[in-house]
Amino acid sequence: MGSVLTGIREGQPVMKAQDDPKGRVLEIQRMSTEDGPGLRTTVFLKGCPLRCRWCHNPESISLVPQLVWNKEGCIGCHICVDTCSESALSAGPGEIVIDREKCRGCGQCARECPTLSMALLGESWGARDLVDELSKDQAYFLTSGGGITLSGGEATLQYPFTHALLKGLQARKIHTALDTCGLCSFEVLDKLLPQTNLLLFDIKEMDDKRHEAFTGVSNGKILKNLTQLPDRLNQTQTDLWIRTPIIPDATDQEDNILKIGEFIATRLKGRVARWELCAFNNLGKEKYARLGEDWAYKNTLLMERKKMEAMYHVARGSGVDENIVFWSGSVRS
Amino acid sequence: MNQTMYPKKKDPKKKDQEKNSDRIQWLRDYYFLGNKRKWNNEYTVWSTGTPWDLQYHEFTYYIVPETYLMFDVMRGGYSQAARNIPVEPDFWDKSIAERRALFVKEVMVNHLPQEILAGDLVAGGRFNILTSMCLDEKEQAAYNGKILGKKGVRAKVKWFHDHGYGNTGATCGHLIPGHERALKLGWKGIAREIAAQLESLEETQKSGPRGAQLRAMITASLMAGELAAKYSQLCKRLWETQVNPVRKKELDQMAQILSRVPWEPAQTFWEAVQALWINHMLVMSDENYPGPGVSLGRIDQYLLPYWERSKAAGMDRKFAKEILKCFWVHCNTAYDATIRCGNQGITAGFGQLITLSGMGPGGLDLTNELTYMILEVIDEMSPILEPKPNVRLHRNAPDKLYDICVDMISRADGAPFLLNFDERSMAGMAGQGQRGGVSDLINDTNVHEYAPVGCLENTMQGNDRSGTVDNNLNLLKAVELVLTRGKDLKPYVDPMTAKAEKILQVGPDTGDPTAFSSFEDFMEAFKVQTAFIVKKCADLYELSESLRNTYFATPYLSCLVKGCMEQARDVTQGGAQISFTTLEAVTYATTVDSLLAIQYLVFDEKTCSLAELTKALKNDWQGYEVLQAKARNRAPKYGQDDDDADILARQVMRIFCDETWKHKTVSTERQFRPGMLSWNYWAADGHVMAASADGRKRGQFLSNAICPSNGADIKGPTANSNSVGKVLGGKTGAITGNFKEFINDLPNGASHTITFNPSILKDSGHKEKFKAFLKGYNENGGTALQINMLDLAVLVDAQKNPKEYRHLLVRITGYNAYFTSIGKELQDEVIKRISHGQF
Repeated sequence: MGSVLTGIREGQPVMKAQDDPKGRVLEIQRMSTEDGPGLRTTVFLKGCPLRCRWCHNPESISLVPQLVWNKEGCIGCHICVDTCSESALSAGPGEIVIDREKCRGCGQCARECPTLSMALLGESWGARDLVDELSKDQAYFLTSGGGITLSGGEATLQYPFTHALLKGLQARKIHTALDTCGLCSFEVLDKLLPQTNLLLFDIKEMDDKRHEAFTGVSNGKILKNLTQLPDRLNQTQTDLWIRTPIIPDATDQEDNILKIGEFIATRLKGRVARWELCAFNNLGKEKYARLGEDWAYKNTLLMERKKMEAMYHVARGSGVDENIVFWSGSVRS
Repeated sequence: MNQTMYPKKKDPKKKDQEKNSDRIQWLRDYYFLGNKRKWNNEYTVWSTGTPWDLQYHEFTYYIVPETYLMFDVMRGGYSQAARNIPVEPDFWDKSIAERRALFVKEVMVNHLPQEILAGDLVAGGRFNILTSMCLDEKEQAAYNGKILGKKGVRAKVKWFHDHGYGNTGATCGHLIPGHERALKLGWKGIAREIAAQLESLEETQKSGPRGAQLRAMITASLMAGELAAKYSQLCKRLWETQVNPVRKKELDQMAQILSRVPWEPAQTFWEAVQALWINHMLVMSDENYPGPGVSLGRIDQYLLPYWERSKAAGMDRKFAKEILKCFWVHCNTAYDATIRCGNQGITAGFGQLITLSGMGPGGLDLTNELTYMILEVIDEMSPILEPKPNVRLHRNAPDKLYDICVDMISRADGAPFLLNFDERSMAGMAGQGQRGGVSDLINDTNVHEYAPVGCLENTMQGNDRSGTVDNNLNLLKAVELVLTRGKDLKPYVDPMTAKAEKILQVGPDTGDPTAFSSFEDFMEAFKVQTAFIVKKCADLYELSESLRNTYFATPYLSCLVKGCMEQARDVTQGGAQISFTTLEAVTYATTVDSLLAIQYLVFDEKTCSLAELTKALKNDWQGYEVLQAKARNRAPKYGQDDDDADILARQVMRIFCDETWKHKTVSTERQFRPGMLSWNYWAADGHVMAASADGRKRGQFLSNAICPSNGADIKGPTANSNSVGKVLGGKTGAITGNFKEFINDLPNGASHTITFNPSILKDSGHKEKFKAFLKGYNENGGTALQINMLDLAVLVDAQKNPKEYRHLLVRITGYNAYFTSIGKELQDEVIKRISHGQF
């Protein structure tokens, strides 16, 4: 995963100011109701240092633009195949096969595709243009107490871009939320906080070994960042929400929830406005298939409502102020 | 993002019915028995008995193309079923207006049976009548001569529709009679005023058309009182035989009420509701049409003083609601007109609209106790269709009102109402005052008194007829005419004979479009062709307008519309103080998207030549699938908050509006004003119009009113709404704190539908967010919004098992229709529209 993180490794000089930094945007979702208070526009940035086994946004993991083919709209004109200078595309029976070894991600086929079935994920945006685009729903932000949420992937990974976005939005008095997995240098986080009204911080798993097994990385750095936050949050007047994905046979252990609760109650005492348990989401299945990847959770069902409610009660009894605990997401009954 | 959660299938029939009393429950169940009822309000037909007599005035139906081929059957069929009523010997010496006033009154008071349903608290049963046009032989022949034959109005109207222009015709309803005044003055007061007006005429005027009109109105003004007296007698007779003491007392009270109102001014809430019902129902009798947008206006405002008085005198809130619920049941019997034809769903052109809440002077909110009572009535009577509510929202609307609306909307099968947004609407109406030269009648000081009719068509109350559904023009035709230099792209093929008509040069030749060097040239030609189709529509409208002006008076309605008495002119002759007619643009987004596609494919990207594109359209895109896919998917679209696309959309809006304002009717001097409403034309005319440059094949639906094209709404509701607000004109930029911050080029307003998935309202937190969306819409969106809350699983099941979902409501262009009655094609469309995957 090294190449993905180029330039963002700890201690690297990433703070250099750029006039109008550019970033890779996976998607802009307007009138989002799930990523913070009010009505929000959520920006999903590409690139993530974690490799969560359950990730339902696989196309957000790589920083590099990725080619996907959607069967639904394709009319079989094969313009994409003819266009590709690398011969990375071939027409199979009723499908287009992408040779991912050959594909350079130049996007020529996506630009030529008449139906938009061939798409290169990861549009390049300049921060200024994106701030303009994100300001379009300001009327709804004002009526709802909403704003912009920068999510991912991992938004801190595209630091100069993220910083410019938050700053631009702040200048327009738009409420900003930063959704982070917490794995980044504290320096980056520290620089982003003054422009951030709300920090959405994930705690997935307290047991370090299990964390590494689930996500590919240790939780040491994440928790360290988190413990450094409270004082800084006071200064920047940034709210803190904790989010915990509840994943079947992974993070959905009572012990894990109790330990996260204990951490919140002791190490983040009084600082957390909301702790949200987010039910496993199985929408990723098709996305993995389009990326030509396998997914360990492809046959996993949604959480049972009873189970989510049980987790919710465990969380409420874990020592935290029980009024901060919420759960969300789709479940089966 | 969360996956959608669908609520469990539920039987809409069982919803909340325990809330109603036994009385209301019975009336409601009885109503839903449909044609199994012993009593109903189906049309009865009444003739003067002359051999040439005609009852069916077809020009009312020129805006309903489905009926064109039925006109002769209707004319003949109704005449065949007509009962004769003898007329006085001097009948034929009188004016047409006087004859009609006499004849309609005679039918309503002395021939149509008067009946009261068990437990009903409001009298006034049957009102659906078709009466003689009351023309003498010569007049009838002249009328027929103008309508029939190859050069008759009927053939011209049919040609206009068959060739994809749209439809136009002087139709009835679509106004708010002066109910507040009628309750205050009583018919006694109205009759006196008209008599005084007649007295004030000079003798020569008295014996002329002005005198005749006022005499007709005096006759008409006696009808409601005489009918009420009959009902009062009926109540007395029922009282005599009634054994239940509670009902006996009610019948006694009703007899007393009906002996006073609507002739005398109403004093109590019960009197006011009773008077309002008779006054309202007789408009439908007078026009011979069951409730086509005959709207009631701000009912929670003008009924409030009566409720407050009765409440102070001890009336129970529950009983007041009981009276209102009886009124509700009566409104629905409008649908009985052609009950033997079964449920007519969307093609039933009813829309007795009531307005709730809204702004008062200075931005003050006028929500009151009655507003909430009526909302409860609507909720408890759901899914009954009429009267249709439109709730006026604005910046100062109370949260409680938003909460109730959102709660009602959240019930997928109920909440049959529309929302109107005051600031944007008022900006449009005030603009009409200016541009239409009626700023003495619509201005900053009174524009808050506006109210919608039909669905969302904004007018003033009691003095305004603005023909809000009279002209429905497919703007897309102008794009076609540019491509073809003023001819149809495809020949009209008669569906009976399969014979293709020869293509003729009909429109102006705007030059060889393949020689256009820039898109601006194309837009110039589009402007010329738009001017042509708008004029063609206005000219054709004049034909039915002048027919109505000459041969069809509604003197009873004229008594309730200010201006008619003062000018001694019938409302059908342009007698209303504010007398406009509205040109409703249909296919707006399809037009804009077609222009955007031409710009993108031919001029910007140079993907194809204009000749090639035109050929593709001629071939209905067959053999041009790649080009079609590009038009559909790669060309910019209106409705995505894309400023570049929306600038062109705004340009189209201005061209349409400017051309519309250039016209006035000749016979009645009614100024045209612009609006956007598409009723069901956007679906049906999709088969009539050739393929379009936006990638649409012939047969696919056109765009609906001001909504983005099907499938273009991919950026979600906020982007969609922002585009709508922008093309109406956006905002002025000045901060005045009132409606003057808004620009709106469509005084009539624009129909805007957004379909949400029910999960947007799944819990209280989401309901709060939805409320905030509505408040944001008030700032950025259009004049009116109807919210469709659809549940895919329920709809699919309803399509398979229609019998189990008889009451399931959906909304289509302002119309609440029973889903099972709208036909598979529209059903499929509704199902397709379960969009906004993010919810």
